Amino acid sequence: MEEKKLSEKPQENPEIEKIKVFLKDERFDDVVNMIALYLGDANDNNYLDRLEDVIETLMLLHGGRIVLRFLIERLIIDIPSLLENLSKRDSVLRYSFLLLLKSMCENECDIFLPYSEDLLNSDDPNVREADLQLIIFIAGGEMSIEDESLIKGIANKLNDEKDFVIKKAIQALIAIGKDKPALVTKIITNYVKEFPEDVDLKASVDIILKSIVSIEGIGVIVEEEDEKEKEKEGLEEAEAEIIDKEIELKKKEIEIKKKKLELEEKEKQLEEKIIHEKEKVLKLKEEMIDQEIEKPVKTEELPKKVKKIIKKEESDILDKELELKKKDLEIKKKKLELELREKEIEEMAIEKKEETLKIKEELIEKENELSRVELELQGKKIKEKELKLLENELERADQYFEEEEKKIDKEEDKNK
Amino acid sequence: MPLQPEHIDKFIATELDSKSKTELLELLNKRIKRLCFEECERDRILCTLSPMCSKRFLLKLRILNGLTIEDQPTFCYSVHKNIIQRDFRNKTVIYKPFDTYLYLIDFLDIFFHGDYRKLNKFLSKEDFKAAIDIFDDRIKNRDEHFQYHLTADKNYLIFKFEEKIHIIFLKEKYVLCNVNREKIANLKIVKGLSDLFSSLYFPEVQRTLVSDDCVELKTYIPRDILNKISQKPPENEDNKKDQYLWNTFANDLDALSQFCKEINLYIDKNENLKIKLHLDVNNSIRYRDLRLIFNIIFRLYNEFYIIWV
Repeated sequence: MEEKKLSEKPQENPEIEKIKVFLKDERFDDVVNMIALYLGDANDNNYLDRLEDVIETLMLLHGGRIVLRFLIERLIIDIPSLLENLSKRDSVLRYSFLLLLKSMCENECDIFLPYSEDLLNSDDPNVREADLQLIIFIAGGEMSIEDESLIKGIANKLNDEKDFVIKKAIQALIAIGKDKPALVTKIITNYVKEFPEDVDLKASVDIILKSIVSIEGIGVIVEEEDEKEKEKEGLEEAEAEIIDKEIELKKKEIEIKKKKLELEEKEKQLEEKIIHEKEKVLKLKEEMIDQEIEKPVKTEELPKKVKKIIKKEESDILDKELELKKKDLEIKKKKLELELREKEIEEMAIEKKEETLKIKEELIEKENELSRVELELQGKKIKEKELKLLENELERADQYFEEEEKKIDKEEDKNK
Repeated sequence: MPLQPEHIDKFIATELDSKSKTELLELLNKRIKRLCFEECERDRILCTLSPMCSKRFLLKLRILNGLTIEDQPTFCYSVHKNIIQRDFRNKTVIYKPFDTYLYLIDFLDIFFHGDYRKLNKFLSKEDFKAAIDIFDDRIKNRDEHFQYHLTADKNYLIFKFEEKIHIIFLKEKYVLCNVNREKIANLKIVKGLSDLFSSLYFPEVQRTLVSDDCVELKTYIPRDILNKISQKPPENEDNKKDQYLWNTFANDLDALSQFCKEINLYIDKNENLKIKLHLDVNNSIRYRDLRLIFNIIFRLYNEFYIIWV
């Protein structure tokens, strides 16, 4: 009695009190609507506080889970933003709330699974951890997780920067692996192969494998692998046929390539022959020049040393001359090439000119035809005009003659 | 029968060979280390919701022995702090954080967040005036509701937030939060608590620290009130004073006798009934016991003394 006088009780939030009353009366729809309004009226500053109030109320009272389910179903609270918001609060609230979701995860995992893979890649390690915890709850429930991409996502978390996320990922893979040991074993062993020097990762994988692979488990894995091998054999046969066909096609392609190469080689050989012949011609020319130079030297009588010096100088000169000739030949070649190109260009220009001339001729012919037609038309018009004039004149002449006849008749009548 | 904890307890108490005792304690120490730093923190959810030591008493063990925050399991301590913070904010908690210890800086962070660095500096340098200015400013200008009392020897700072009592051990730089079942360490704290409660609820009750022997609390029931008490057991239940003095007072005295070193009741020269209580810490008085004593004094003061005044 006295204790109450010595202490003061904190004031309660009236909206939360109403929610509590409705919840006790099992007026779940009203509770959901009230929470929707309560959260809807919140601003950026007090949204988290209000959310926390709601979560605390739902955690404590009977029927809170039903209301929470309605809130999630009606998207008043959505799982990703809820986990992100909870991450901003203390771990006590976060983990207590996760426990509240346990039965929902176990029985109605469809509410959570669509978000699981995205949440694994959240920037916030608390969100990643919370998501993994929900996956653990789901794996412990009615449904087994078979989504390979999700399991791969969890396996990726074995290399997470935060130790507590790694630990949670290990737990999640163990939980999934109890139902699907072969699948988890395959995925994590493949994953560990990507990081052969990562000792910590190997240790984590060891823990998982030790937990999920028992003697009975090995039997299951072997059976699953047998089934898979049978499926594989069927697939392999089909694959073999496709591969045979591909090989045949490749063989044909190679033959075509070989023939092309042979043709190219022949072309090259021909070119080489041409070059050899040219070289022979050049050599002959050089010999001819040498002979011409050597003749006067032989006639003169000189001392040996001087002769040697002269020979050396002669050979140097010959070398230089040869080089000059080669260069001349190269220049000639280039000039010829340039000339060829110029000729080609000229030919092109001539061809274009011919084409334009042809077009002009055609145009002139057409113009001539047109002028002919015009002349004919004019001739026709003139003829028509002449005819009309003739007709008019004939009519006039007729009229004149008629009048004249009438006059003559009248005069004759008068004369009578 | 396998080895039982009491066997170990007995061995440590009686064994003379210090080497074997050290060996045994080393084993225990290793086990504690593995439990705190590996097993319990392996799963943060489990560490938060069901720690492997009850109410995280191993944190207290380290704090009381002068170990620093670096020697504590980080996550476990952060949860521990969170729980006290949530309790302070009247949020739901996994367990009520009674008799929990915190490092001074963390206590100041929770309860005086905006000023906690300044307060930590002032209290460390024993600049109590500056610290008290901050407390007073918070009470007067920032609409905060708490009371405080600095003990005469300036070793303890006692806070009362609503019904919760927290005691700062200034020399040790830790805080005992939500005092309840913990034994009161010394008479200075008993006197400090008496002074704090007295200033709030029974200001005219005399309090004296009798050397290092006990704390004396002195109150009385005035003669006028005593004269109005019926001479026979009351038949009418409406008269609360009669009811109390005839039916409850004896029980209260009995309760007080369990926690007080001495109780003196006598009629003074003015014919008032003097009640003198001697409190000491030798018979393991706990904070909750002291609260009970204060409740009885408050009742006597409120129902008999104040009315008469």
